[in-house]
Amino acid sequence: MALPITYNIRNVFVRWRATVATIAGIALVVAVYMIMQTMAEGLEKSSQNTGDPRNIMIVRKGSTAESSSQVTRAQLKEFNYLPQIARDAKGQPLLSADVVVLVSLPRRDGSGEANVLVRGVSPVGMDLRPQVSLVEGRWFTPGKREVVVSRRLSPRFANFEIGGKFRTGGKELTVVGILDGSSSAFDSEVWMDADESRSIFDRENYSSVLVRAKDDAAGKEFVKRIESDKRLPLLALSEVEYYAAQTKTAMPIKFLGNFLAMAMSVGAIFAAMNTMYASVGSRTREIGTLRVLGYRRRSILISFLLEGAFLSLVGGVIGCLLALPLPLLGYSIGTLNFETWGETVFQFRMTPMLAVKGLAFSVIVGVLGSLLPSIRAARLPVIAALKSL
Amino acid sequence: MTIGTFILKNAMRNKRRATLSILSVAVSLFLLVTLLVALRELTLPPEDIGAALRVVVRSKISIANLLPAKQRPIIERVPGVEAVSPFTWFGGTYKNEGGLTFGQFAMDASKFRTIFGDSKMPEEQFEAFQKDMRACIIGKLTAEKYHLKIGDRITLVGTIYPVTLEFNLAGIYSGTIDDRNMFFHHKYFDEAMGDMGQVGMWWLKVRSAEDMPQVITTINNTFANSSAEVRAETERAFQLSFTSMWGNIKLFVGAICTVVVFTLILVSASTMSMSIRERFRELAVLKALGFRRRELFAFILAESFALAMFGALIGVGGAYLLYTFGSVSKMTNGIFITLEVTPKIIGTAITVAAGLGIAASIMPSISVAKTSVVEGLKTLD
Amino acid sequence: MAENIVTIRNLSKIYRQGEINVTALDNISLDIRAGEFLTLMGPSGSGKSTLLHIIAGIDRPTSGECHVQGIDVAKLNESQLADWRNQNVGFVFQTFNLIPVLTAYENVELPLLLTRLNSKQRRHQVNTALELVGLAERKTHLPRQLSGGQEQRVAIARALVTSPSLVVADEPTGNLDSQSAQDVLGILQTLSKSAGKTVIMVTHDPKAAAFGSRTIHLEKGELSN
Repeated sequence: MALPITYNIRNVFVRWRATVATIAGIALVVAVYMIMQTMAEGLEKSSQNTGDPRNIMIVRKGSTAESSSQVTRAQLKEFNYLPQIARDAKGQPLLSADVVVLVSLPRRDGSGEANVLVRGVSPVGMDLRPQVSLVEGRWFTPGKREVVVSRRLSPRFANFEIGGKFRTGGKELTVVGILDGSSSAFDSEVWMDADESRSIFDRENYSSVLVRAKDDAAGKEFVKRIESDKRLPLLALSEVEYYAAQTKTAMPIKFLGNFLAMAMSVGAIFAAMNTMYASVGSRTREIGTLRVLGYRRRSILISFLLEGAFLSLVGGVIGCLLALPLPLLGYSIGTLNFETWGETVFQFRMTPMLAVKGLAFSVIVGVLGSLLPSIRAARLPVIAALKSL
Repeated sequence: MTIGTFILKNAMRNKRRATLSILSVAVSLFLLVTLLVALRELTLPPEDIGAALRVVVRSKISIANLLPAKQRPIIERVPGVEAVSPFTWFGGTYKNEGGLTFGQFAMDASKFRTIFGDSKMPEEQFEAFQKDMRACIIGKLTAEKYHLKIGDRITLVGTIYPVTLEFNLAGIYSGTIDDRNMFFHHKYFDEAMGDMGQVGMWWLKVRSAEDMPQVITTINNTFANSSAEVRAETERAFQLSFTSMWGNIKLFVGAICTVVVFTLILVSASTMSMSIRERFRELAVLKALGFRRRELFAFILAESFALAMFGALIGVGGAYLLYTFGSVSKMTNGIFITLEVTPKIIGTAITVAAGLGIAASIMPSISVAKTSVVEGLKTLD
Repeated sequence: MAENIVTIRNLSKIYRQGEINVTALDNISLDIRAGEFLTLMGPSGSGKSTLLHIIAGIDRPTSGECHVQGIDVAKLNESQLADWRNQNVGFVFQTFNLIPVLTAYENVELPLLLTRLNSKQRRHQVNTALELVGLAERKTHLPRQLSGGQEQRVAIARALVTSPSLVVADEPTGNLDSQSAQDVLGILQTLSKSAGKTVIMVTHDPKAAAFGSRTIHLEKGELSN
């Protein structure tokens, strides 16, 4: 026979001071866990949002980042008129040869410098990336030293506002527009004209080439074609695949998140254990009475486990709620990207799956913490329980 | 018996609870120390002794931008400069391992000893390195990690440069702050790349610390408004520039750490005050025996203080032993080379523990003060 | 005729219990002579424990005076009161209230830790007190290793160790079997007869009360005889 759950719930509130501390402890543990997870999720999501399934990316074989990749103009000529590439209304291939340069620029708050990825794009480059839109000002004019900066980078770097000017490579660049990359990797970039970029940074070659394939089959054929051409030391792969592989940066965050969650949950388990032991201790007589009334050991055990689980579930829910404002308010965070060595900006992201994970995590903490005390409660001899004052 | 033994006996009366309290304090403080040393390492990378005389010259555009090789004789002529070496980050993968597991730099082998005076390596190994253009030297930590010995062949596949280089391991050095890097002849690199006439950075050694500011200003001014503007800075400033790149994630992690520590302290404090609250009746008896409020406060304080300090001893001591004698680079997968538990960090942790001991005794002390002897005697255990 | 050790005049104690006021003691006046073994009897709720608590300085009256050895206990502040209890009053509780983690010897020594005695002097006094209650061989035992009667005798030794002039006992035999109760009452009687201590005991057992030299009955907060 099981004890009614209200028995446990009421008991949780009888010892409210210790209970509040335990719930608060678990809530904070879950909150920290959730915040780290929403961060990692946001970072991964920014990579996932970037690729378009119709696009194919061409980089130098063996290079791990676009900024260290090279595609020469001679190589470009080998494939820019391949029939698999889609064409626009004027019959021009949908192809953007980009120049990606890492530029060190001063932060807005004066706390030193950080690297920004400056992408030089061909005019078609904007059409190939529909997730990028202009939110303020205008696009750069080809042949002019003008740039469009991301909305997310704007508050982080000095002079990143419309009309702002900054120097790099000995030249002065003017910000003429603000772009939004709808939570993709382009949120961490500055865009300008590809040829202008090559001239400012003295680049002979392009970094990468992005093409739109006519259809799925054509895309596969194109990839095969590049791969089989031994003269081209290039790698072609779908844009989605390319960005999906860019997950290195999220790893330390996940590592830190898991480490903190682990260490903190050990502390939380100790706390839950103490609370539950105290609870069992003060209810020794009560437990004896229940046993006399005919409750089995197993019912007592389950009852106390449920009490612990309930306690921590309350903490878990509060913890999830505590972690919610960051993703809801769209707070963005920036750090060094280990792939590009540029600043990457991303937002916190909460998903139902993460919330479920957080709650499950809290229940595990609660059950682990109350396991030993529950066993103790179940093992109390009936007589001893009744004798205790 | 003394008051001290009485407090000790009381603190240990419920061994299970005392153990749990001590352990939860220990876990909190271990975590606190870990986070503090890690944050310190991120914001303040370890300093090499020789770094005081080294200057790093990189492109003003960014560290990823190359510099023309023809800058070398100009830099060499700057007064106060003792030695100049090209310094190019190769960024190759070894044994198909996903990430880069150690840094690889092409440099002028003949300048290695002048610039990195703190490295230690047997003379014959150094000579072998100088003579063989395809030779490389590698730090002790990396050599141990891959079980490399002198004479082994090492193949690196470039991720930045489209070449694959093969090396003979000529020497294993130790004694620098980061014994993980690999160094090889820049000439070999140039040859493989077909003399592209570019280098990653210039690293130089100045004659004395007094020459340092002058050398830096001269170099910066010399190349200003040229097609390849440079930024010359001390090695320290160069290292610290990386910490700025971490962005606000650093602040954020710092904030999270504060929450973490606060949480664990809250939890430990509640655990400890619980153990005192359960002895209300006994405290009432002590009151009846003539113990004053002040003395009871002292009891409660001493007890929670003792528990907190014992926990601190285990947590901080454990962290200290682990990070001082354990292999940090192995534990952190190479994210950190050293984690130094400084006296300041130990001091902070002990202060937090002391605060925790005091905080834990506040609530029970208030309750004890409020409760009269008669009420206290009525409470059941 | 011995002088009065306790002088109580017009003593009242009113509790608030929720919304209602409960009069525990109603205008009581009483004299207790030095060396007396006074027993307080009465049904539960009659105020006998409250009276004992006020005399012993662990509770305060609402009005009236309670002089013990010429000192108005009600006028002392908290820490003066604590000192005063330590030096002048020995307590014996119904539930013994020994500290479970301390040995018999250490429990008896506890009040002495508040004095300036050195450890040698303390040892002498603890041993004397334990011998008096006949437990000299049990001093290394923990409370749980002792029988109820033995525990109460340790508690009496603890009450005596500071050589107080007043010993108060609240139902000291309430948790004991009759043989142990006889022993404990015998010790209390000896204290008043041969050691000249004033003993005040609350009990509702007429047999226990018979050990005393005088019995006072309380009913509804008033002296009834």
